[in-house]
Amino acid sequence: MTQGRLIVGPFNRVEGDLEVHLDLADGAVARARVNAPLYRGFERMLMGRPPSDALTLTPRICGICSISQSAAAARALADAGGHAPAPQGAAMAALIHAVENVSDHLFHFNLFFMPDFTRPVYADRPWHGQAVERFTAQTGGAQRAAIGARAALMHILGLMAGKWPHTLAIQPGGVTRAPGASDKVRILASLTAFRRYLEGTVFGGPLEDFAALSTRDALLGWDRGDAGLFLRIAADLDLDRLGRGAGRYLSFGAYPDAGGHAFAPGIWRDGARAPLDLADMVEDLSHAWMLGPASHPADGQTLPDEDMRADAYSWCKAPRLAGAPMETGALARQVIDGHPLARDLAGGGVLARVAGRLLELARSQAVMEDLARGIDPAAPFMDPAPEVQDGHGVGLVEAARGALGHWVRIEKGRIASYQIVAPTTWNFSPRDAQGQPGPLEAALVGAPVQPGETTPVSVQHIVRSFDPCMVCTVH
Amino acid sequence: MSEIETFYEVMRRQGITRRSFMKYCSLTAAALGLGPSFVPKIAHAMETKPRTPVIWVHGLECTCCSESFIRSAHPLAKDVVLSMISLDYDDTLMAAAGHQAEAALEDTIQKYRGNYILAVEGNPPLNEDGMFCIVGGKPFVEQLRHAAKDAKAIISWGACASYGCVQAAAPNPTQATPVHKVITDKPIIKVPGCPPIAEVMTGVITYMLTFDRLPELDRQGRPKMFYSQRIHDKCYRRPHFDAGQFVENWDDDYARKGYCLYKMGCKGPTTYNACSTVRWNEGVSFPIQSGHGCIGCSEDGFWDQGGFYDRLTSINAFGVEANADKVGFAAAGAVGAGIAAHIAASALKSAQRKKQENEEV
Repeated sequence: MTQGRLIVGPFNRVEGDLEVHLDLADGAVARARVNAPLYRGFERMLMGRPPSDALTLTPRICGICSISQSAAAARALADAGGHAPAPQGAAMAALIHAVENVSDHLFHFNLFFMPDFTRPVYADRPWHGQAVERFTAQTGGAQRAAIGARAALMHILGLMAGKWPHTLAIQPGGVTRAPGASDKVRILASLTAFRRYLEGTVFGGPLEDFAALSTRDALLGWDRGDAGLFLRIAADLDLDRLGRGAGRYLSFGAYPDAGGHAFAPGIWRDGARAPLDLADMVEDLSHAWMLGPASHPADGQTLPDEDMRADAYSWCKAPRLAGAPMETGALARQVIDGHPLARDLAGGGVLARVAGRLLELARSQAVMEDLARGIDPAAPFMDPAPEVQDGHGVGLVEAARGALGHWVRIEKGRIASYQIVAPTTWNFSPRDAQGQPGPLEAALVGAPVQPGETTPVSVQHIVRSFDPCMVCTVH
Repeated sequence: MSEIETFYEVMRRQGITRRSFMKYCSLTAAALGLGPSFVPKIAHAMETKPRTPVIWVHGLECTCCSESFIRSAHPLAKDVVLSMISLDYDDTLMAAAGHQAEAALEDTIQKYRGNYILAVEGNPPLNEDGMFCIVGGKPFVEQLRHAAKDAKAIISWGACASYGCVQAAAPNPTQATPVHKVITDKPIIKVPGCPPIAEVMTGVITYMLTFDRLPELDRQGRPKMFYSQRIHDKCYRRPHFDAGQFVENWDDDYARKGYCLYKMGCKGPTTYNACSTVRWNEGVSFPIQSGHGCIGCSEDGFWDQGGFYDRLTSINAFGVEANADKVGFAAAGAVGAGIAAHIAASALKSAQRKKQENEEV
């Protein structure tokens, strides 16, 4: 089928449910509509509850980015009370958050993204045999190694956060666990083992060498490890051209510390960086099954349209910044942080997004090692935050998949309003009142569809290059 | 049944040696708390019985159960789940996509009619004809009913499938409904927790696959082998509870000394689960060990019991007992009285301490 319409879904190997409607013309996607078909209503449940309930309920939006939700909730509550966490507590929150983000990147590459290259459609490519051996779903060698390495890395989460997923350790005042000297040694040992895995299996060389790559061409010359296999595939299939973005990026800044952020916040637009300013952010509801006016999340509501009106097509709202859709994620973070390789890849497609994630995987190791080395067991890890009776706050963090914000308003000691805008809410947003498509919808236009394809492989690559988290998208 | 290969054959095909197979059998016995005499029985069962196919479906959920499962320290998770059991259908891990995946689900149901286990993660929302969770263009509740019809048993993974979990929190906007309220004609094993512990999940599934029968269940439908004790019963901080030593504030001196978190809202005394024995993330720790009280995530209704940091009861002597009965669904008289006594003792101690401080000033 190269003309007509195609409904692609359900998608497997993505977190949650997703359906994509495609209009085809001349063997390519002419128009795409993205539907997030899962809604639970967390923002409605939070109304009227004690503010601290957000620390337990919001992480349960998502089983793979629960620490991101937890960190955003803690920060929003701290902000509402004008409170700052204990510096060592903030550092430990950053460390466990980084462990989760790195784990997500690792899983995305090994379990969600790469298995598409084992499909029979690529049987005639020279790299196919190697891809099958490394990445066949559920049995590939790379997948098994990744599962083992990730579980071992997550010992840090066990140690510092009690359990993962759905950690309770992060509080507005810091973390509940004060690591001792022996914990510090164990954390550093886990990180050393993880570095060995990354350098031996994923990159096939020192992480610093990969992080020192500064151009797209240099990147494509990296031929070692599973990253090298991906880059060989990317060059062969020209994945840089597939699913290109608009080059508009957003980052709330990752891992805040006393001196700023490990990865800086900001906006990238028209080839230049601008400071982060959310004053003119709105969530547009024109194509979402949600009622009410377009509003800033500080004033937003979540009122599902149970009639599911015909001119809307998703439960997902459409966040816009100064009227424009924004792409968010590892690539956005690295572009905004100013890494030369990411800047060279800015505006790119599948290659740029996946390489952005690999680059961040390599760079985050040093961030985690620094945080672990900085542990001071004698320092306070919690400066308990007073209960807030009235106030409003915002918690901005960078989840693995990009910018995550919680906006809370507290009245008489109860939550009066709670709005959450997740990374995939930005990336997979539907059209807005001006008819502008969301970033994925725009990236899909032009994707080739071969005759007879019902789950076009190009569409699979583009969708997964964003690493969607659908349960966070609508929540 | 004869066309279904045995477990051992599947393992052989994966290149697993006899030695590894026997090691697997003894680890399985250990994980289930069975003695060494069960090892040959397990081996025999796996050599002769056809493997049990598993279909794993996802409703309204967050995938935390799958996330927990794949990190199990038990070899079953790393090797068996990812290759040998071959989850015949699982939409988070499988290779196929879209219509091909739908067809795989249908094939599995037809091929193993009456013989497969249906593992359900998440639950169906029933409001608006189920439109809040759509899988393949249809409400999830339809997929669930369809797949359940020919299953021999159902595993309800986690608090969502067992009880509703946070998405059923008041006002339950989507009318998220636990599996047993939708499927009423099949044996259902509830494995609650948010998420359940990885080793509990693999333990339950191993037991069912190995012995081809349901594990012994309590009156709520939970496997007794993992849910017969309170977190509190085996908590390493229990001596501090017994001694009336409690954390009063986050990261205070008492917190650093590892005192009991009861006053910080810990729900360990009314929560039935294996966290304090099996622990999390390959046995590294569990929430209480990280300095945060248990929130009781394996108990029905944990999401709507007032604030998560509220003490189980006020210092009222009889409130605990009533509350423990209600939440824990079991007589907790002795412990309840114990809590009351210790709280009283602790209140007395803190009053004494305050008095001393005042005198010093």
